[in-house]
Amino acid sequence: MSVTYLEAIREAQAKLLRDDDRVFIYGQDIAGKFGGAFKATKGLAEQFPGRVLNTPISEDAMVGTAIGAAMEGMRPIVEMQFADFSSVALNQILNNAGTQYWRTQTPCPITVRLPSGGTKGSGPFHSQSMEGIYSHYPGLVVLTPATVEDAYTMLIDAVAIDDPVIYCEHKYLYYHLKADALPTEKLPIGKARVVRPGRDLSIVTNSAMVHEALAVAQQFRAEGIELEVVDLRSVKPLDTATVLASVARTGRLLCVGEAFPWGGVTAEVIARVATEGFHLLDAAPARINAKDTPIPYHPNLWSEHRPNAKTIAAKVRQVLAE
Amino acid sequence: MPQLGESMAEATIVAIKVQPGDKVSADQEIIEVETDKAVMGVTTPCAGEIAKIDAEVKGTYAVGAVLGYVEASEADAARFQKRAPQLPKGDVAKEVPGREEESATAVRTQNGSGSHFQVDETALPQVAAGSHFQVDKAGVLPVPAGTKGAGYLSPRVRARMAELQLTQADLAGIAGSGNAGRVTIKDLEKFLGGIEGQPAEKPSAIRTGVADAMRRSWTRPLATVGLSVCLDPILQDRAKRDPKPGPALYALRALALALAEQPNAAARLIGGRAIRSESIDIGVAVEAQDGIMVPVIRNADKTSLADLTSRYTELVDLARRRRLTGDMTSGGIASISNFGTFGLEWGTPIPLPDQTLLLGLGMGKKVPAWDEGNGAFVPRTEAQVTLSFDHRSLDGGGAGRLLKRIVELLADPAKL
Repeated sequence: MSVTYLEAIREAQAKLLRDDDRVFIYGQDIAGKFGGAFKATKGLAEQFPGRVLNTPISEDAMVGTAIGAAMEGMRPIVEMQFADFSSVALNQILNNAGTQYWRTQTPCPITVRLPSGGTKGSGPFHSQSMEGIYSHYPGLVVLTPATVEDAYTMLIDAVAIDDPVIYCEHKYLYYHLKADALPTEKLPIGKARVVRPGRDLSIVTNSAMVHEALAVAQQFRAEGIELEVVDLRSVKPLDTATVLASVARTGRLLCVGEAFPWGGVTAEVIARVATEGFHLLDAAPARINAKDTPIPYHPNLWSEHRPNAKTIAAKVRQVLAE
Repeated sequence: MPQLGESMAEATIVAIKVQPGDKVSADQEIIEVETDKAVMGVTTPCAGEIAKIDAEVKGTYAVGAVLGYVEASEADAARFQKRAPQLPKGDVAKEVPGREEESATAVRTQNGSGSHFQVDETALPQVAAGSHFQVDKAGVLPVPAGTKGAGYLSPRVRARMAELQLTQADLAGIAGSGNAGRVTIKDLEKFLGGIEGQPAEKPSAIRTGVADAMRRSWTRPLATVGLSVCLDPILQDRAKRDPKPGPALYALRALALALAEQPNAAARLIGGRAIRSESIDIGVAVEAQDGIMVPVIRNADKTSLADLTSRYTELVDLARRRRLTGDMTSGGIASISNFGTFGLEWGTPIPLPDQTLLLGLGMGKKVPAWDEGNGAFVPRTEAQVTLSFDHRSLDGGGAGRLLKRIVELLADPAKL
């Protein structure tokens, strides 16, 4: 038996619905035969009648309703069709959910699932990575699982957290990642993972870019260059200690992110390393992100727009050469 | 300001030969500039009329700075079109926060005058990608690509050095294995591991002080010149005097008098200014236990040799007893080292870090000198005098003139 990243998300939701009466899932076309745009809830409506609910096409209303339910003690999971559309609900997420506990001391345990990141030919409105936006605002927890195991355990943890959680699941990983079985162990939220230990340079990254970074590390291995790859897992809270420890080992830092370059996660990691770990650096920290333009539709343009193994490798050489 | 030589970064205007309204032909020399190497002419790119001269005589301008404008025919103007700066459309610079600050990076305020100049970045020398001389356009001046070469220490290496109180001089024994010969953290740790277990002791405070002063001084380009001096007149003169000054005191007095005549020789170069002292205060290197102390004799040009001798004796005594106070060792403009007392004939002593000059005196010894009049060798007592100097402030010629004058003065010691 094997389980994909997408199946792990479905299984996590099934487990949550099974184990906790307060959990319900709210989204567009998720109930009935359709099972959501990516089939992440397929079969769950039948299995858990009345707890997997279709919503009108209003992200604003979806999140607003979830916040109300959370205030009444429920643990709602909101499924966005695409992360890109969550911008329609920014007011509910940032201004209401994010601030609620701080204004009222009433927790707001909602989980918003964002099918994120690019796949070939998805264009500007179905490819974006929004973790940088949500991390900027206080009161939110932002998760970007990069493995089948993390997809499963982090979604379960997300629902257990009393704060609003933005759960960014990467669409490219839905079918491309497979594990032998669902995990029995987990790393806590807020802890980054050293996916591949190295000696010469640290690549700090998250989500699908972890796999690009691993491919690059494999490529450099033939030259005797050992890259360390750190998967942030949780963007907020950010595990600065693990990042600093990695930079202390290698002296060189390259941050890789699929999101746009201006500000964001890679910038935050570099700011922290430069502030708290300047003395660890042998070279100026570098980063590589998507290009600062809307995401192109054409597959060839798209694969050059986001960081890929080739552009990451070139950047690695640049940092190593300094 | 055109690039008039490969290493030229900026130049100073010596003369402006035209004024607005003057007609000029193509390649006419209109401005004369001086670089660190030569005086050269700036020529017009094309024929026309001088519209405006922005540069001022004695002003220093970076390569690429706009010195003035030539009103040219439309055909000529079109030829240079691609080099003209791109102006932001409309009021973009005003509307976009920070935009004005961004463009301000190319503006440098000049010393004193308060004027500033704009750099036209499009006029900076264009360099092919991958060329050895990459141009860093972030600042005003071209920066060679190899800036982070052998001398570069990464923040990590610096932090480790700070932790261990190491200076760059301490790393001299490490052949760096990093990029461009850089010393890497591994090189440093390996080096430290290698000296681990070797016999070591904590140096005395005076040793540490000398080490620090010499390290600082060595950051400058130092050079030494030397001459022979005949000691016989000094030895004869000395016999007549009471108290009896040593040869080093004659040399000190001669140095002071020579500096009174050539005060620029002791000037210190700091940030583009040559700084001169108001009084001629000369230090004397005295060997104390485990180090050197350099007490200073004030106004040595205005103090008789007799008074110098008694002051010198006093200071040496204080130095050997370690009783010198801070004001007795500071403010000298040059010093003298009598390394002859160690039986040495020649040396290249290092000036103190805050001084430009150091006069050294070697051991006297009997040598045969050719006497033209008698056609025979005659014995004479000779010593070598050396003058070490900061080559930024002084050249071989200047140092040589000062040293020759000192030797000249020493030939007539009765007048000292």
